[in-house]
Amino acid sequence: MESGNRTAIKVKTTVKLRKELGGWLLASPYLAMAVLFFLIPLGWSLSLVFFDWNLISPVRNYVGFYNFREALSSTRVHNAFLNTYKFMAIIVPSVMVVSLGLALIVHHLPRLKQFYAVGFFLPYLASGVAISLVVRGILSYDSAFNEFLRSVFGTSPRWLRDSFWATLVISAMIVWKLSGYYALIFLAGLQGIPRELYEAAALDGAGPFTQFRKITLPLLYPAFYTVLVLAVGLCFGIFTEPYVLTGGGPRFATHTWQLEIYYQAFERFRAGYGATVAVLNAVVTFASILVIRRIVESWGTRRGFR
Amino acid sequence: MFPARRRRSVRIATLYFVATCVLLIMISPYLYMLLQSLAPWREVDRVFFPSSFGFHSYRWLLAGGAAALPRPWLRAWGNSALVATVVTLSRVIVGALVGYALAVLSFRGRRTIQNFILFHMFYPGIILLVPTFLLIRALGLYDTYWAMILPGLVSTWAIFMYANFFRSIPQEVVEAARMDGASELRIIFQIMIPIARPVTAIVFLFLFMERWIELLWDMIVIRDPTKQTLNVLLATMFGPYGGYQGPLYAAGVLLTFPIIILFLLFSRRFVKGVSLVIST
Repeated sequence: MESGNRTAIKVKTTVKLRKELGGWLLASPYLAMAVLFFLIPLGWSLSLVFFDWNLISPVRNYVGFYNFREALSSTRVHNAFLNTYKFMAIIVPSVMVVSLGLALIVHHLPRLKQFYAVGFFLPYLASGVAISLVVRGILSYDSAFNEFLRSVFGTSPRWLRDSFWATLVISAMIVWKLSGYYALIFLAGLQGIPRELYEAAALDGAGPFTQFRKITLPLLYPAFYTVLVLAVGLCFGIFTEPYVLTGGGPRFATHTWQLEIYYQAFERFRAGYGATVAVLNAVVTFASILVIRRIVESWGTRRGFR
Repeated sequence: MFPARRRRSVRIATLYFVATCVLLIMISPYLYMLLQSLAPWREVDRVFFPSSFGFHSYRWLLAGGAAALPRPWLRAWGNSALVATVVTLSRVIVGALVGYALAVLSFRGRRTIQNFILFHMFYPGIILLVPTFLLIRALGLYDTYWAMILPGLVSTWAIFMYANFFRSIPQEVVEAARMDGASELRIIFQIMIPIARPVTAIVFLFLFMERWIELLWDMIVIRDPTKQTLNVLLATMFGPYGGYQGPLYAAGVLLTFPIIILFLLFSRRFVKGVSLVIST
């Protein structure tokens, strides 16, 4: 009896020790990497913004808040700032409509739901570079597509050399890429709506359109909210498509935060200034997402969706 | 047939027709890329459906590309595969180990580590771009494979996913294994990881894809063309190879289709797996 008790205590203490030691041991790879590639760069970025440094010279000039003042008055940064909201105004509503549409299709299919959901998701896997290649090819002056447009309308747009079309093309590429992914969020929402609600509404004489407006849309509020937050956050990180297709042009119409950071830090080798623009980007992103979330949340509460 | 049933079957047939059309539109850029990569060069982009098919674009590419500006395209593909595989495997394994520690082991400091990971996860990565580059250079790793691999060995998101999943597994499973004398590592690798297969599938896929199509970072830290990933090589050859659109499409296929195939292999329980991602 006694020895059994003792082994039980022994097992207990070793288990306790194993948990204490094991916990730290298992977490140690993460902790080591977090110190090296998170905390050190984090500290470095805080000092970097106060210096003017070209990445090579041994001399780093302390410039105080000059980098911030320059960035805040730079038209390049202004363009990146405003373009983000321009992209947002196009991308967020379109991606919501398209992904909800895809989700509705999958939801109403009696069979092969999985097949179509997977198929609609495929664009999410695309490298922005490879898709930019396709878009450049399709939109090149003597492509089959433009020949077709000219044969019908007599003229074809200048696409990527036109501010309006370039913005639209890049937005469309992003909507195409994301909608299959966001459709899965809507699909999960749709599957969570109890059938009885529709049956009751049908008994009350509500047609499919009324049912959609009065039941489906309000109950999808959480899904809309998730998609909104994801899509808004994404608009602040646009890089690949404008980098390879337009270089931010024409006349900065598709210039973005990340393009500006890349250009300043790694093409003009202005490490301090590039880091400063990155800090501004993060602050603007954080503040914008916070404001947009607040607005949508209070709207949702007022309408009773939350 | 009753009219109501007939109306219903017409509706379903329409739905399938619409679904198939939308599906074709969604995958049309892939189909276009594939068709154009096989087309005769004079037809590339000039016709939607080529008159004949051949592998000449691929052969030209794998032979080294333009004589005036040869580039190691096949090697770039290997670089992509190497970097993405090493990084993703490490991220998955570290994710499972740390996730297990956070979810199952109660040790002093656990809450602190958890909160720190959340802070790390939501800290805007863009701020770290320039200083991380400086760090890589200071470590003497600029223009080496390590520059692409080392900073990405750990993913806070993977840790988060595994910790969430392991929390849902009853503690008795672990206790029973401990009573049988299993070590913690053994519990992780022989019990927890096999149970977590749906999480692993989705985490592996998302992280592999993310690493495979990375552009900005790989472009910054690599200058030597023999070390570039395929994504970077394609992006930088956009202009110089502008007259060789067919081979560029072939490179696009080599870049895109491996991920699609990998995904289709993983896709059996995909929709359910993604709900794990969405719910968190």
